[in-house]
Amino acid sequence: MQPLSTLEALRQSITTIENRPALGPKPAQHQGQGPLGLLSPPAGLLHDIYASHPRESGLALGLAFGLVRPLVGGARHAVLHLHLAADGQEIGLPYAPGLSSFGLDPSRVIFGRLSSLSDLLWAMEEALGCRAVAAVIADLATPPKGLDFTASRRLSMRAASSGASALIIRYGQDRAMSAAHLRWAVSPALTQPQAFDARAPGRPRFLIELERSRLGQLDGRVEGTRLLVDWTHHGFICAETVTPDRSPADRDPQRVAPPSGSVSAPLGHGLSQTG
Amino acid sequence: MRLAAVDLKSTRLGLAPGQSVPDARAQVPDLELREIDRPWLARVFADFADWHSNASPLVTVLEDSAAYGDLVLDIAGVTHLFGGEARMLDTLLLRLRRLGFTVTGAIADTVGAAWALAHFAPGILPSGEEEGGLANLPVAALRLPEPEAAQLARMGLKTIGSLYGRDRKGMEARFGTVVTRLDQALGRLAERITPRLPEGELSAERRFAEPIGYIDDVITTARDLAVGLSHHLADEGLGAQTFHLFLYRVDHKVMTLSVHAARATRDPGHIAQLFAHRAERLEGEYDPGFGIDMIRLVAAVTSPLESRQITAFEAPDGTDDLARLYDRMTSRLGREALLTSVPVDTHMPERAARLVPILEAPSAKPDKAGGPAAERPLRLLPRPEEVEIIAEVPDGPPIRMIWRRVAYRIVRASGPERIEAEWWRSGKTLGLLLPATAAPNSVAAMADPGFTPEDVLRDYYNAEDDGGRRFWIFREGLYGSMAEPRWFLHGLFP
Repeated sequence: MQPLSTLEALRQSITTIENRPALGPKPAQHQGQGPLGLLSPPAGLLHDIYASHPRESGLALGLAFGLVRPLVGGARHAVLHLHLAADGQEIGLPYAPGLSSFGLDPSRVIFGRLSSLSDLLWAMEEALGCRAVAAVIADLATPPKGLDFTASRRLSMRAASSGASALIIRYGQDRAMSAAHLRWAVSPALTQPQAFDARAPGRPRFLIELERSRLGQLDGRVEGTRLLVDWTHHGFICAETVTPDRSPADRDPQRVAPPSGSVSAPLGHGLSQTG
Repeated sequence: MRLAAVDLKSTRLGLAPGQSVPDARAQVPDLELREIDRPWLARVFADFADWHSNASPLVTVLEDSAAYGDLVLDIAGVTHLFGGEARMLDTLLLRLRRLGFTVTGAIADTVGAAWALAHFAPGILPSGEEEGGLANLPVAALRLPEPEAAQLARMGLKTIGSLYGRDRKGMEARFGTVVTRLDQALGRLAERITPRLPEGELSAERRFAEPIGYIDDVITTARDLAVGLSHHLADEGLGAQTFHLFLYRVDHKVMTLSVHAARATRDPGHIAQLFAHRAERLEGEYDPGFGIDMIRLVAAVTSPLESRQITAFEAPDGTDDLARLYDRMTSRLGREALLTSVPVDTHMPERAARLVPILEAPSAKPDKAGGPAAERPLRLLPRPEEVEIIAEVPDGPPIRMIWRRVAYRIVRASGPERIEAEWWRSGKTLGLLLPATAAPNSVAAMADPGFTPEDVLRDYYNAEDDGGRRFWIFREGLYGSMAEPRWFLHGLFP
């Protein structure tokens, strides 16, 4: 035990210096060992989520809510979605019945419609400081001018100190300088046809790449991991993992336990159909 | 045309209000006339009235008879702040005279008596002496309409005293208001005034020896006042939801800052923070003029607020924190910045979720069990966008789509899900509410997306293109019916 606790103490001190959320032996936060564990990161991080085009805004929002859902629970029961009033028609607005069919209780989501980016950043910081907020999602249709490295650094420190997560959804190929702990790129993938209707689209499917991680390496090299996952009411499940060093034989679909703090997920037949 | 008001010089020349203009011109040929600007006068008097609420909280403007308004202050219980009635009257009149106004004033027990004295014999009438004090004044001092006063004078009833013993029934039959006015002036009938400013239930105020100007000083003062006010509130076991901050400027104007809290509160730090956020949004609106010489903080919508005991084993549920967050954000960003979605029981997708400001939202109800059976997109476009579609006739799924000038090949689609007009909705078929006049940023524009479909049905498809993007598309109308059907893109699935 002695060497482990020393290691832990060292980690703690580095954490306080770098203002990162504590890493190390916290298996409760990373329940899915393996690649899917990446998709339930601990709270208090700043995420950047990139989609290549505003027409994939539904997908980006799906990933954001998928990452957020495990964080909702207990005293932290609110999720804020902030967008600029001018962007509504371009990327669409989150739709409450759609949230419930996605598996999230719409009454927990609060929408912030703001007139300027500076208001949005202010609102984001303010909301991150609230103990009842699990996550703040900022949805930006156009590359934001005022959101530079300094601003994102402020947000990441604020998130780390308060324990609420911040997610920024952006569109385009360019990657802005950012102090985000994790940077995701999400792109669409053809869904699996439904068993009872081959012509119908199946479960939401995401091709997710973890482009960048400031969390250090949890289990092996994580940057550059690509995941092909489906969304069910119980969380993400692996459809296929596309990593260059894996043989196709390893690509058996695997399943993870439902996230610990899941909200309003109607438990039922979902798991039996995931195989 | 008649003279509405005359100045001192023309009074000396024998002119009087009510005289007709040709008469007056005949009397004084080089008379200078100006048209009376009543809206402007009303505005100025409103400012005066607001400003005078630094002397007493109950101020109003009487507009019924005189050319100029009459300010009425209810000074019950405030005279001691000025050192007695006489000193108070002097102080108020002197302040106005220094600004160059001609002003007279009087203090009496009733509004009617004070009006009569102010217009005909300025001074202070001791309590209970109305009958004697008013007896020698002309009947016009009773705030009577011009014809009525003239008629009384014709009948020889020139002074108020001559009315005292008269037969009330006869007078009531002949004249409309004189009996009421007489009773009001003598205190037999209560006359209430409606104060212009919202009447606070509890307030705290501070006067400054030197006028202040900086908004930071105002906010600091608001914080101090909030501490005092919260003690008052705590003594009464109350909390308030609305707070007004009245800033009395030296030049007789009043600025009002109001903040609303999501739930009743009496936490001075929180109240001060709300005002600080509100002040950040002021920008051009804040104009201290020559300075502010008094600030009053008023708690308006009060409700009982029990002090709560914190128990050792209770985990905080965060509701209070959230309410505070809403307050802070709405006080800076405006009421319509934070919204929540309220489910509406309807088939129409765009009506099924209504966005309402969070502070006005009904308390959360548990969701309907199960939720909607059909899958709904994660994002909905506020206005459905028309797309070009190639599809099998009559109701095959779409095959190709052009949206925002980009072509998509649809490989899978589920549907159609047919949604028809709700017949109980005022007999109309599928018609959307038109937000044509709504501003693009208003809630209405979000709640009712605007496009003007014909009165037809919709068939919704959940379509996936060859890249895996999923769209929610609908066809409006049927092939082979009256008009060519149109296609719209309404939502985006994850």
